[in-house]
Amino acid sequence: MRHGSDEQPRHVTPPGDAPRVVDQGSVWILVAVPSIWAAHFLLSYWVAAIWCAKAAPMASLVEPRWIIVGLGVIGAAAIAWLGRIAVRRYGGVFVIFEEITESSERGRDRFIGHVTLLLCVLSVVAIIFTVIPGLVFATC
Amino acid sequence: MTDEIDLSRLPPPEPYDEARDKAQRKRLLDVWRAPPGWKIISAVNNDYIGKWYLLTSFAFFTFAGILALLIRVQLAVPNNELFSQSLYNQLFTLHGTAMMFLFAVPIFEAVAILVLPEILGARDLPFPRLSAFGFWCFIIGGVFVCGSIFFGVAPDGGWFMYTPLSSNPDYSGLGADIWLLGLSFIEVSSIAAAVELIVGVLKSRPPGMRLNLMPLYCWYVLVVAGMILFAFPPLIAGDLLLEMERAFGWAFFDPDRGGDPLLWQHLFWIFGHPEVYIIFLPSIALIATMLPTFAGRPMVGHSWIVLSAVGVAFLSFGLWVHHMFTTGLPEISLSFFSAASEAVAVPTGIQIFCFIATMLVSKVRPSVPMLFAGGALAIFVFGGLTGVMVALVPFDWQAHDSYFVVAHLHYTLIGGMLFPLFAGIHYWYPFTTQRKMNDRAGTWSFWLMFGGFNLAFLPMHWTGVMGMPRRVWTYDLTDGWAVLNMVSTLGAFVFAAGFAVLAVNVLWPRGKQPPVARNIWNAGTMEWSAEVPDKPWGIRSIPYIHTRYPLWEQEDLMGQVDRGEWFLPDAQEGKRELIVTDILDARPLFVQRVGGPTFLTLGAAFCLGAAFILATFHLWTITLIFGAGFAGFTLWWLWTGTSRIPETPEKYAGRGLTLPTYAQGNRSPGWWAVFITMTGDMTAFMGLVFSYFFYWTALPGFLPSADRLPGFGWLLAGLALLFGSWAMTVAARGTLGRGQRGLAMALLVGALPIGALGIGAWIWAAWTQGLDPTAQSFDAMVWMLILWMGLHLLLNWVMHLYVAARVKFGHCTPEYRADLMNLTLFTHFLALTAVTTFALLAVFPLLMGVGP
Repeated sequence: MRHGSDEQPRHVTPPGDAPRVVDQGSVWILVAVPSIWAAHFLLSYWVAAIWCAKAAPMASLVEPRWIIVGLGVIGAAAIAWLGRIAVRRYGGVFVIFEEITESSERGRDRFIGHVTLLLCVLSVVAIIFTVIPGLVFATC
Repeated sequence: MTDEIDLSRLPPPEPYDEARDKAQRKRLLDVWRAPPGWKIISAVNNDYIGKWYLLTSFAFFTFAGILALLIRVQLAVPNNELFSQSLYNQLFTLHGTAMMFLFAVPIFEAVAILVLPEILGARDLPFPRLSAFGFWCFIIGGVFVCGSIFFGVAPDGGWFMYTPLSSNPDYSGLGADIWLLGLSFIEVSSIAAAVELIVGVLKSRPPGMRLNLMPLYCWYVLVVAGMILFAFPPLIAGDLLLEMERAFGWAFFDPDRGGDPLLWQHLFWIFGHPEVYIIFLPSIALIATMLPTFAGRPMVGHSWIVLSAVGVAFLSFGLWVHHMFTTGLPEISLSFFSAASEAVAVPTGIQIFCFIATMLVSKVRPSVPMLFAGGALAIFVFGGLTGVMVALVPFDWQAHDSYFVVAHLHYTLIGGMLFPLFAGIHYWYPFTTQRKMNDRAGTWSFWLMFGGFNLAFLPMHWTGVMGMPRRVWTYDLTDGWAVLNMVSTLGAFVFAAGFAVLAVNVLWPRGKQPPVARNIWNAGTMEWSAEVPDKPWGIRSIPYIHTRYPLWEQEDLMGQVDRGEWFLPDAQEGKRELIVTDILDARPLFVQRVGGPTFLTLGAAFCLGAAFILATFHLWTITLIFGAGFAGFTLWWLWTGTSRIPETPEKYAGRGLTLPTYAQGNRSPGWWAVFITMTGDMTAFMGLVFSYFFYWTALPGFLPSADRLPGFGWLLAGLALLFGSWAMTVAARGTLGRGQRGLAMALLVGALPIGALGIGAWIWAAWTQGLDPTAQSFDAMVWMLILWMGLHLLLNWVMHLYVAARVKFGHCTPEYRADLMNLTLFTHFLALTAVTTFALLAVFPLLMGVGP
């Protein structure tokens, strides 16, 4: 697919960057995984802040607690889905000692898949970190 | 889908011919040579700019270090009255400000500008003149901010400039304005450097260097520059709000007028906490680059380090409130940030474990750089552990604003940033100067600094726990802090002595010494392929890279590069040329011509600096004159230096590869630079959006009654007109592509009055309802959002006229229309800003039930 922003003076060359980065779906997955953590974190913060500011100061946290848990589950599920893509499409494997130094498009994909899987684990851990205080606190 | 040029099956190089080699070298030398004599200041090459940047940053470091010593002298004995309290406030504020803004962040840019192109095997970064512009902005702004102390008007509100102390001119004088405007100016140069470095890493890699083969240093640079893009703009937004309150009395931080001083703390720390990692990661990157050299093997867990860099970059944005644990936010909010502060220790720890693993599986060669790296890890881990302590809310309530925090932050910054940097200086000194530093002096400086540092800062943990508040001017003998403070002061001077040894070691004239051997450390990364003595062209020919450590794993690479067997070995057209490659696989895309030495960037930086400095003194007329000067120089620079239509559409790059000489849209570095800059710009705008919602959350009466809201109809009409203006620009791109030059110009110029009517409708909507920015925070916020849009439209108009003129004079043609493509991209972001502003001003009050 040619994008409006990829019309070159002479149409002899293969597609440029944006088509590959967007259509081939290559690097976005690296950013997407921690972005889910970020979205979850900000949503949790906003839910709690607005709840505490707009409800009574010592409002019970029972309801937002379940919202935060629900958000946590959704976030973890989204990350698991991306992890699946990292394995299926990118050929990512979870190994400790990696040597993905092959000079090919497949090698690059496998490397991105590997880093993505690692980021999935980190992001899920960070989401769990965020959910825990939501379970513990009973008041603002 | 793969349209790849198979770089591993290129035709063999032409046989070596000494005469050809000599002729090529001469032509390259002529093109890349720096201007002679005093004209050297017009140089833009990364060798020069990088070196100047580095030396200037260290000059500011020395200055801020001397301030630190003065602070320590004042605190050495109880009831000391050596400095007045007012001067003392200026000393610690300027110490923190200069160390953070004039040393820690710029030194990252300095090192990256110096070594990144060489590590990438590139001739230069894609925008050398932008680097030069950033450097000159930095030095002008830095001298202005630091110089203020000699006139007794240095900022004195602490390096985080909390409101309401800083927003009320009765409490804070000129110093706060100097801080706000001087630093905003320097932030501009940081963002310029970030754009340059991101595009550099993404687009200037040598052919074949795919993402999985990219050196770790480049990953760190990419991540950190990305962080700058999301961390600095909120502070610029905050600076703008604070300066509007100080200069024009707009109600943002004054509780009596519906403002909130806490907003500043949010905006500052959304910048301020990621900034700590912006400082730390590039230095860790230096260790990650030199450790494989001394271990003699590739880094263990390459992907894990990439993971930790990306992970830290994200998590570090979820920590800002841990600086605000004592401000009375709901405990549940605090606990989220406490949890994130603990979580960030995970990826930070991973990279340290990777380093340790690399050292364990190999036999590390002892050397001065490794000595500093080892000391860095020891100090940093200690500081990291106290960081985990203060991340816990109850502990922080006890330690907040005490010397415990001072000790913690110096352990993390000096261990995480300064010592790795000193390691890097010893490591890359031979690369920069072709001489070697004295090892004996290096060892001395290390032990003096390591010992002095611990002597100075370890006792502060105790003084803090014993109750000594940070920034306190003096104390009484009965407080019981006297002995520990005296020890800290002694330690500070030992540390300073160590730094003096290092400084002498660096600056010692070594002109007569023989140059070092090539690749003196037997490293694997490309920067060590540089010839000795050094040549100005960066690299003789740009090689094909298919390994992570090319000098180790690609046989005779240096020889092939030297003999000009790879790409662009010549400069027949007398132009400075780089190969631009693609983001994923570094496929060669085109040959980019970059600008050479020029005084235009200097002129632009000087005028912009003057405008910022004069604005501090509220001299608006001269400020505007210099602002116009800045615009003039910049347009001149762009007109003569960018998007030049090449003399031939393609050129032969060597080894059977013919590449276009022009690119536009998403394969050109310029397009990506616009995209990245505007992402930063949107982040600043998001800072304003955050402020709006912050007020709404924190202040019950923020949204006024319906009769005080800007008129919905006018807002909608304004949005429609702004959209029309955007659509005309997009249409101009298409029409020019179809060869209708006249129509394209008409659309470009016609978009101006349409946009003007749009913003006019918005101003009218607010004006007729009598919204007064000095009366209420809501009114101030509305006017600020309209002002933001208006300023962007103003810039948009200049760009429209510029592109229309480019079309008129044949620099932007139906075939070669990079300028117009970049402008279209800019207006996409503008349209997004308009929609968001409309949502905030018209839709949100409606949703909250206060609309008409």
